Amino acid sequence: MINDFFNILLPQGCIALFIFIQLILAMCAPLKCYRSARWISAVGISMAIMLLSTVQTEPQYFAFRGALMSDSYTLLFHFVILLCGFFVVLLAKNIVQNMRQNAFTFHALLLTAVLGAMSVVNSNDFLTLFISLELLSFPTYFLIASAKGYQSKEASFKYLITNAISTGVFLFGVSYLYGLTSSLNFNEIYEIVVQSQSSLLYTFSVIMIVLGLLSKLAIYPFANWVVDVFKGCETSVLAFLATIPKLALFGILCRLIVFALSGSFELTFVLAFLALFTALWANTYAIKEKNVKVIFGCSSAANASYILLAASLVSVYNLSTVIFYLIAYVIMNISAFAFLNIAEANKVGMYIDDFNGFFKKNIGLTLAYVVAIIGLAGFPITSGFIAKIYLFSAIAHSGLIFIPFLLALLILTVVALYYYLKLILPLFENVDNGVILKVVYSQKFVLIFTTIITVLIGIYPEKLIELCRFIAYNI
Amino acid sequence: MEKIFSIPFLVFMPMLMSFFIMSPFFTSNEISIRRFAKGVFSFHFLYATLMLIFFDSANPYFSQIHLLGGDWVQSLGIKFAFQIDSISIILVALTSFIFLLASISSKMNIRMNHKFYYSMMLLLMSAILGIFTANDMFLFFMFWELELIPAYFLIGGKYSNEVTPDAKKSATKFVLFTFLGSMFMLLGILLLHYYNYVATGTLSATFSDVIDSYIPVGIQLFIAICLIIGFGVKLPIVPLHTWLPDAHTNAPTPVSIILAGILLKTGAYGIYRFNYEMMGESFKIVAPVLAVFAFLNIIYIAFVAYAQTDIKRIVAYSSISNMGLILLGLCACNQLGLSASVFHMVAHALVTAGLFTICGIVYLRCKTRDIRVLGGIAQNMPRLFGFATLIVLASIGIPVFAPFISEILTIISALFSDLSIVLKITSILSLPLLIASSCYMLKFLHEAFFGEKQGCFEKVNDISVHEFVILASVVAGLVLFGLYPNAILNFVGAI
Repeated sequence: MINDFFNILLPQGCIALFIFIQLILAMCAPLKCYRSARWISAVGISMAIMLLSTVQTEPQYFAFRGALMSDSYTLLFHFVILLCGFFVVLLAKNIVQNMRQNAFTFHALLLTAVLGAMSVVNSNDFLTLFISLELLSFPTYFLIASAKGYQSKEASFKYLITNAISTGVFLFGVSYLYGLTSSLNFNEIYEIVVQSQSSLLYTFSVIMIVLGLLSKLAIYPFANWVVDVFKGCETSVLAFLATIPKLALFGILCRLIVFALSGSFELTFVLAFLALFTALWANTYAIKEKNVKVIFGCSSAANASYILLAASLVSVYNLSTVIFYLIAYVIMNISAFAFLNIAEANKVGMYIDDFNGFFKKNIGLTLAYVVAIIGLAGFPITSGFIAKIYLFSAIAHSGLIFIPFLLALLILTVVALYYYLKLILPLFENVDNGVILKVVYSQKFVLIFTTIITVLIGIYPEKLIELCRFIAYNI
Repeated sequence: MEKIFSIPFLVFMPMLMSFFIMSPFFTSNEISIRRFAKGVFSFHFLYATLMLIFFDSANPYFSQIHLLGGDWVQSLGIKFAFQIDSISIILVALTSFIFLLASISSKMNIRMNHKFYYSMMLLLMSAILGIFTANDMFLFFMFWELELIPAYFLIGGKYSNEVTPDAKKSATKFVLFTFLGSMFMLLGILLLHYYNYVATGTLSATFSDVIDSYIPVGIQLFIAICLIIGFGVKLPIVPLHTWLPDAHTNAPTPVSIILAGILLKTGAYGIYRFNYEMMGESFKIVAPVLAVFAFLNIIYIAFVAYAQTDIKRIVAYSSISNMGLILLGLCACNQLGLSASVFHMVAHALVTAGLFTICGIVYLRCKTRDIRVLGGIAQNMPRLFGFATLIVLASIGIPVFAPFISEILTIISALFSDLSIVLKITSILSLPLLIASSCYMLKFLHEAFFGEKQGCFEKVNDISVHEFVILASVVAGLVLFGLYPNAILNFVGAI
C-alpha cells in the first residue's frame, strides 16, 4: 500500500498537502497576508510538476488492488492539468483581491479541483472514478459562485443541477454494468466483455455511463449550463472551467471508449450525433451573442464536440490526434482568458463593443489575443491549424460513413469563424477609447508563454505529435 | 548563378519583413515605412525577374526544395516542400509585379495606419507566393488559409478618410465565403491523402506522389468536386461569386488591384495544380460540366456588369467574366488551352490593375464612382482619358494588346478540344459574348469620360507621376505581350 503511494501518488499527495496548508492558513493567517495564497498554490503546483518525475509509468502500474493505474498517458494528462492549474493560479489575482478573507479558501478549493481532475485520469475503477468526479465537481460549484453578484450564484446552481443529473445517469449506467459483470474494475469488465457476446443491456449501460460523463464537456443533452455559467463567472475561474475538467474528462473518456468498454458501433453513432448537435447548437448560439465570455463558452463546447467526434471513432490514431488537439486547445484557451483577465482587472466590460479600438494602445497584448482567437478558428502559424488538420484527418481516415459528419463539422467551423471574427473586429476599430491596459507580471507571463507555445507548435509540431503518437500507441 | 535563387527566400522574405515592420523596433514614421515597403517590393520584383530570366525547369535549385530537413509533420507525411515550374514562375513574377504596382498606388490611397497596412500587404504577398510555389497539398492549404488573415484586414480596415460603411461587412463576407470553400477543399485534400495512402501505401501529400488512377472513380469525382468548390469560391465560378463585387468595391484601390490581379488567379492555379495536373482522370469527366459553368460566368456576368452604375463594380464584374474565360481554357484539357489560360491570367492581371487604378483616380478626384453623376471628365483629365481608352480597348480584346491573343487562343483551344462536344458548343457560343464584354466596358468609358463637361469636376487635376508610372507600365506590358505572345506561350509550352 505504502509502496503504491510512493510509486504513483506523490504529485497528488503534494497537492493534498498544500490543500491542508491553505486550509490551516485560512483559519489562522492574518487578513493582510491574503496575497501569499496565490504563491503558496503556485509553489504547490510546481512542486507537484517536479514530483511527476517520480511516477512509475513503464510498464503500466496498478495500485490499490487495481483501483488506480498509471502509465505514460496519465502522466501526460497530469502534466497538462498541472500546467493549466499553474496558469489559472497565476491568473487568479483579481478574484483574490476581491475576496480577501476567503483567498486561502479559494485556493484550497482550486487545488482540490486540480486534485480531483488528476484522480479522474488515474482511476481504473468505476468507484474511484465516481469519487474523483465528485472531488472535481464540488469545489467547482464554489469556484463558480466566488464572483460577486447574484449571477454567479445562479450559474453555480445551474451547474450543480446539471452535474447532479448527469451523475445520476452515470451511476445508473454503472449499476447496470455491475449487474451484468459483477465488477467495477475496468480490466475485469474488459475481460468479461471480450469473452462474452455483447448484449443490448450492455450497450445501453455503456451509453448511459458515457452520457453521464458528458456534462462537464458541455455536450448536447447537458450543454445548456454553458451560457449562464460563462456569463456569471470570473475569467480566471473560466480559464479553469474551460480547460481542466475537459482534460480530465476527455482523459478518462478516451480510455473508456478505446479500451475499457471495447467501444460498440451504437456508442460511436450516439456520440457522433451528440457531437454534431452540440457543434450545431454552440456555433449557432454564439452568432447572436454579444458577451465575450459566453462566446468563448460556446467555442469551448464546439471544440469539445469536435474532439468527441474524433474520440468516438475508436482507433489509436484518433487517440493521438485527440491528445494533440486537447493540448493545443487548452493552451490557446488559457491565452485568450489571460487577455480577458487583464481586461477584467482593468475594469473593461465583457461585451464585444467594450473592446473597441484596443489595438491602438495595446499592440502586444491585442496581438497575443488575436493569435489565440485565430488559433481557435484554425488558421495557420498557430497550433490550432495543425490540430484541426490532424483531428479532421483522423475522422477522414475512419471510413466513408463518417464523411457526412466531417462535412457538417467543416461547414460548422465556418459558422464558428463568423463569431471569432466578431471578437477580432472591434479590436481594430478606428476609435481611441483611451484604455491602456495595466498588466501584472504574472498575467503577462501567462499570456506571453501561452502565445509562444501556440505559435511554436504551429510552426514545428513534429515533436509534440511524436509524443502524442508514442503515448497513444503505448497505452 | 542559380545558387543565389532560393525559393524559401523568395516566399518568406516578405513575411519576415512584415513582422519586422510590425515590430515595435521599427519606426512609425509614415514616409519611412512607405519607402521601406516600396524598397522591399522593388527588390523582390528584381529578384523574381532575375529568377524568371535564369529559370530552368530541369535545375534542382528550382524544384524540390525542402526546408526543416524535409519533413514538417512526419506522421501525416506533410513535407515542407517547394517547387517552381514554368507556370509557377510566371505567376510568381506577376505577383511580384502587381504588388509593386499596388505599393506605388498606395501612396495616393493610403492615409493612415501605414504600419499595419504595409505589414499586412507583405504578409499577403508571402501567402500568395507560398500558394504558387508549394509542393505539398497541406502546405498549399496552409498558405491558402494564411492568405485570408491579411486579406481580411486589408479589405475591412480603415486606411483613408473616405467613408466605406460596408467595408467590414464585405471583408467578413469574403472571409466566410473563402473559408467555406477552403473547408470543402480540406475535405478533398484529406480524402485524397487518405485514399492515396490506402492505394499506394505511402503516406505522402506531395503533389507528385499522388497517383489518382488507383483511387476508385466515384471517390475521385467526389474529391474533384470538393476541390473545385474550394477553388471555385476564389476563382469565382458563378453561383459562388457574390462576395467578389462587394469586396472589390469596398477595398482600397491597391487592395482591389491585388484582389483582382492575383488573388483570383490562385483559384485558377489551384484548379490547374490539383484537378488538371494531379487528378487528370476525374478532371476529364468534370471538365465539360465546368465548361458550362465557365460559359455561365461569361454570359451571366456580362449582363450583370452592364446593369451596374458603380464603375468599380463594373470592373469587378468584368474580372469575374474574364475568369470564366480562364476556366474555359483549363477545361479544354489541351496544351494550347493551358498556355492560353496562363497567358490570360497575365493579361487580365495587367488589365484589371490598370482599370482599378483608373477607378481609384476618378474616385479620388471626383469623390464619386457613380456613372450617372460622372461625365465629361475626359476634358479635364486628357492624359487619364488616353490611358483609360487604351486599357479599355485592351480589355475588350482589340488586336495589338495581350487579351486579344489570349481570348482568341482560349476560344480556339476549346473549339479544338477532343474532350466533349459541350466544349465546342461553349466556345462557339462564347464568341459573341466577347462583344458583350465590349458593351459594358465601352459603357464604362463612354458614361464616365465622354459627354457634357460638368461644372463640379472643373478643378480636378490630371494624373500625377506615380499614377503615370502605373498606367504606363500596365499599357507597356499589354502591348509587349500583345506583340510578342510567344514570350509566355513558349514558356508554358516548354513544360
